[in-house]
Parts: sequence; structure tokens; C-alpha cells
Amino acid sequence: MANSFILRAGERGHNLIPSSGLNASYVAGHPEGFITRESSFNFHEYQTGRAGFGRMRVFGDEVFFGAGCGYNMHPHHNFVICAFVLQGELTHVNTVGNIDQLHAGDYYVFSAGSGGKHAELSINGDEMHAIYIWLLPDQLLLPPSYKRAHFDAIARRNKIQELIGAADGALPVPQDFRVSRLVSDMPQKHVYHPRSTAHGVYIFVLDGELTCGEIALGRRDSAGIWGTDAIACETGAHTSDILFVETIV
Amino acid sequence: MADADQALKRLLCLGCGFLYDEALGLPEHGLAPGTRWDDVPADWVCPDCGAPKHLFEMVVIGYAAGQPQIQPAA
Repeated sequence: MANSFILRAGERGHNLIPSSGLNASYVAGHPEGFITRESSFNFHEYQTGRAGFGRMRVFGDEVFFGAGCGYNMHPHHNFVICAFVLQGELTHVNTVGNIDQLHAGDYYVFSAGSGGKHAELSINGDEMHAIYIWLLPDQLLLPPSYKRAHFDAIARRNKIQELIGAADGALPVPQDFRVSRLVSDMPQKHVYHPRSTAHGVYIFVLDGELTCGEIALGRRDSAGIWGTDAIACETGAHTSDILFVETIV
Repeated sequence: MADADQALKRLLCLGCGFLYDEALGLPEHGLAPGTRWDDVPADWVCPDCGAPKHLFEMVVIGYAAGQPQIQPAA
């Protein structure tokens, strides 16, 4: 018997974080720059929603506005931080030793482990859109690491493609956790198979439409489904872009 | 005071991932090894990111090989 929750786009936590005032040292960029963050789960000031889902604690839908905007170098431990760039150019700098530039389709896994810092910047003046996912690791104080890869929406269209996990070409994470993406250009039926009924799937519609049984999701809507080993869904008539986040629950 | 028979806990800051392990305390921040989370002052904040105490989550996760580098006091 499947369990589920639905989180509509407008029900998420909303923060507008200016790069001035109290946040001036945390948020990079000119004083008029700002970040918008839509949080699916409780995060910082937003504490009235769900605490997380399985091992996931943060699912942030973020936009950096203005030249140089983003997060200045700041510290982390333990969390495995994943970023999926949807639009614009993200410059990621970390203390593992990487200066990386990511564009639409690029994604990274930064495992902070025993301690690391990173900066996330949109250096040019274009809007940078990214999804940030944080998950708990399966061990504390692991050696910090950084890996990146690219999702090719054209070559992989109409297929559920595993981006993070144990699949060939996917980026591994130290957790029972997978992220897959489906970009569909036509109405199509798909079945997502979690590893077991003890795994849950958080389905987030980046764009377009997705129907999972009784659950109809539009742009930026999401649903958590657990207690089943098969999730049947159907994409909408136009381009649909979906993330499936699978975690032990 | 916390129950002395209770297993020592580990708590993770949800703002940044900073770890508070009761067994280790944070001697450099005035919290001796063995200091229970309940006995950490209510106005204490994450030394790395400033998140308040209520934004820490108890975790049951083991250490990676070779960690922690600071051993708990006997």
C-alpha cells in the first residue's frame, strides 16, 4: 500500500535573501543582488513544513540574480550537497581543490565529510537557476570529495536516467540514495521502480506535467511516495522535466 | 540533568552539518567531553554557522574509518 504527500509549488518555503544588510557577508554580489530560495523542506528560517524525506534534508529551488551573486565561501561538515544547474552559469569553488563552472545539465556532488568550504557564484549578470539537494551521509566525517557530471537531455530524452547512484555513469554518494531525471517531449507512460518498498521517491516537476495515479503535478509541484516498489506515471503533452529522488525511508 | 544511563548522542546542525558528539564535547568552546545535549546552554549556537540549538537533529550514524581524530576522554 503506497503512502504519499503532495507539495504544491506555492506551498514551499519562500525566502528572498538580499546581498546587503545582515546577509552582506554570506550572500555575494552587488548590493542589489539577491537569491530566491523555494524550500521543499524545513531550512533555516523556514520551519513550518516537512522536516525532510528519508535521508534528504534540503531540496532548494534557487535563483541567483545579479552579477557575482551567490554564496560566499562558507563551511560544511557531513552533508552531501548536490547541485543541478538548470539555467545560467554556476561557478563552484571548494576546499577539496576545485574551481568548476557548470551550465544547464551539469550537476555536482560535494560531500563535505570531515569539513570543507564552498562558494556558489553566478559571476556574469545572467540568472542562475539550480536545484540544491542535501542528504545525510551513511558515515560521519568522511574524506571530503567533489565530483561532477552532465545530463544530456537530448540524447537521454524520454528515458528515466539515473544521475546519482550506482548506475553506470552516475555519480556515487555515500548513502542509499538515487537521483534520476526524465525529460519527455511527448505524453508517455513510465514506471519508476524503487529498490524496495522501504524506499521512498520524491518526485519534483521541474517543468511540464506529470500524473502518478490520482496525483496530478504541474510545474514545481512535487510528491513523496513510499511503500510501493512501482510508481506508474504519465508525462504531459509538452516537454516535461522531472526529478526522481529515491531514498531509504 | 540527562539520565546518565542513556547512550551518548550525536547531533548534526541542519544549517551546515556541524557535528556535536556528547562523548567528545567541544572543549575549545567550553563544553567538556561527556556534556549532554540537554546540558548545552539553550542560547548556544552552532560555532560554524550560528544556527540555534533547536536546529540540530539527533543522528544515529557511525564514524568513517579513522574518525573521530579526537578520542573521547576515558
